[in-house]
Amino acid sequence: MAITILPPTPAALPSRIPSTAHHDTASSDEDDDSMDIDDLPSGHQAHSAAIITPGQTVTDDAQWMRGHGTFAAPDSTAIRSTLAGTLQKTNKLLSIVPLRARYTPEIGDLVIGRIVEVQSRRWKVDVAAPLLANLMLSSINLPGGALRKRTSVDELNIRAFFGEGELLVAEVQSLFQDGSASLHTRSLKYGKLRNGYFMSVSGMGGGAGVVRAKRQIFTLQTAHGGGEVDVILGVNGYIWVAKHTAEVEGKGEAVGVNRLEEVASASMYSSQNDDIGAETRREIARVAGCIRALMEGGVKVDEETVRRAYEAGLEMDEREGEAEYLGGERGRSIIEMVLGG
Amino acid sequence: MPLDSSIYTLSALRLDGRRWNELRRINGQISTQQAADGSSYFEMGNTKIICTVNGPQEQKRGGGRDQSNEAKVEVEIGIAGFSGVDRKRRTRNDKRIQEMQYTISSAFQNTLFTHLYPHSTIAITLHVLSQDGSLLAACLNACTLALIDAGIPMSDYIAACTTGSMASYADKEDEADPLLDLNGSEEQELPFLTVGTSGGEDKVNVLIMETRVQMARLEAMISVGLDGCKQIRGILDGIVRAHGKKVLQSKVS
Repeated sequence: MAITILPPTPAALPSRIPSTAHHDTASSDEDDDSMDIDDLPSGHQAHSAAIITPGQTVTDDAQWMRGHGTFAAPDSTAIRSTLAGTLQKTNKLLSIVPLRARYTPEIGDLVIGRIVEVQSRRWKVDVAAPLLANLMLSSINLPGGALRKRTSVDELNIRAFFGEGELLVAEVQSLFQDGSASLHTRSLKYGKLRNGYFMSVSGMGGGAGVVRAKRQIFTLQTAHGGGEVDVILGVNGYIWVAKHTAEVEGKGEAVGVNRLEEVASASMYSSQNDDIGAETRREIARVAGCIRALMEGGVKVDEETVRRAYEAGLEMDEREGEAEYLGGERGRSIIEMVLGG
Repeated sequence: MPLDSSIYTLSALRLDGRRWNELRRINGQISTQQAADGSSYFEMGNTKIICTVNGPQEQKRGGGRDQSNEAKVEVEIGIAGFSGVDRKRRTRNDKRIQEMQYTISSAFQNTLFTHLYPHSTIAITLHVLSQDGSLLAACLNACTLALIDAGIPMSDYIAACTTGSMASYADKEDEADPLLDLNGSEEQELPFLTVGTSGGEDKVNVLIMETRVQMARLEAMISVGLDGCKQIRGILDGIVRAHGKKVLQSKVS
């Protein structure tokens, strides 16, 4: 990716501010922060407007508890920040939400991952977290019936299910002591991914990128004869945009054990892409371009913003003629339309 | 090119027009590379450095998974051939570079909250584009900015600078003023040390000296260095705050 280095700012900025004055402003900021902790509304959505930087004292009042992103020096009660970000209050718990950070898995997260290693009874999956996630052979749906016992034949054929480099969507089932995740795909919603396009918006944090929402998987009705396109937003910032597959939904209401058996065995672990028409490919690329524009604009990526951005992208095409590139000026106007409408 | 100390004493200005306690122009940017977890660009006078941070991520295979419950900080420094005055080819196992890598790695190993990321690696890559003195100090400052961008918890900023002593001979004891933030030509002439502290509490993380100096001058040099680190911490903090403000403004929803 491109390295962006801006020309140096004219001499007015930080370097020319005398150090004493700088410290004064910093300390007065701190005072403001410790005063308005009481006024800050509690909850996930509310953040302080002020930036807190590493080492800054958040408060020295003993009534508050230390949350993520804070620490206290061993010999004092003052709560200090370890991150650059904004302050969040949950009742009496103070935590710092970083401006940008790696994904940390939590139980129940829908994630998209890539297999990096195959071991004898498990796969190691890259989910953009500090550690690779585990997917046990026992926590996937085996073809030929969900209730079948795992045999040593399955262990020998482990690459028939997932091989290195393949993508899958899964749920975080549990967390290990060291913070790494254990995944499962024991639902027809989850499993191997094909017929689509992978993109990553990971490492955004602090409100941009993919946010946890009610629905992480949704279907877009696309224009220009593209048909339906599935979008899977992994909480870890990995995104999958694919041609809609009818089979799961069509048979969804009658999935008994026997139906599951058929569905699972038919195509669940196939690595072969179906034929995708040129129109569908085009619309998949357009959706991906819109999501990339959202990411570059620092807007959160969820069902609503993706739908709006896609509509805005279509509208732009009608007004200004078709363009393949949705970044730059066009990206900014898409963002404006998303936020405005 | 010996330093003309008569000029210094007359107008109390150095070769590049600074006074003894003045820093060079410092400029920094955060999030310069999208692909990395954290990145920064840092200028200290004519010393220019790009820093990228990848991680914390699972340790690469080979050598096996280590059993320690802390993240490892790995530092790699690449010095561009065109960065210095003479075009020198530096190999990867240059002793001087290795020592810098080790110094930076151990400084951050103690400042970052590595216990939050067991069995993982934090990889720091530094590219020196141009060097004009205070190389180690500039590397440390660039790393601090990139690690903050990567959102890795740390107890405080590590801010570093160099200090030198004006006269390099014992018979000029009366002229021996300490100098802050040496540039390339001063570094070749004068004894100097690099000092890095974390935060306003003056906790010294790095103190390296490769030249020789009279014991009596050391104290003055270090105290000037500590003051310089405090100034640099203020500047780094300003850079982080300006960046954070920009990020928050762009996030409307």
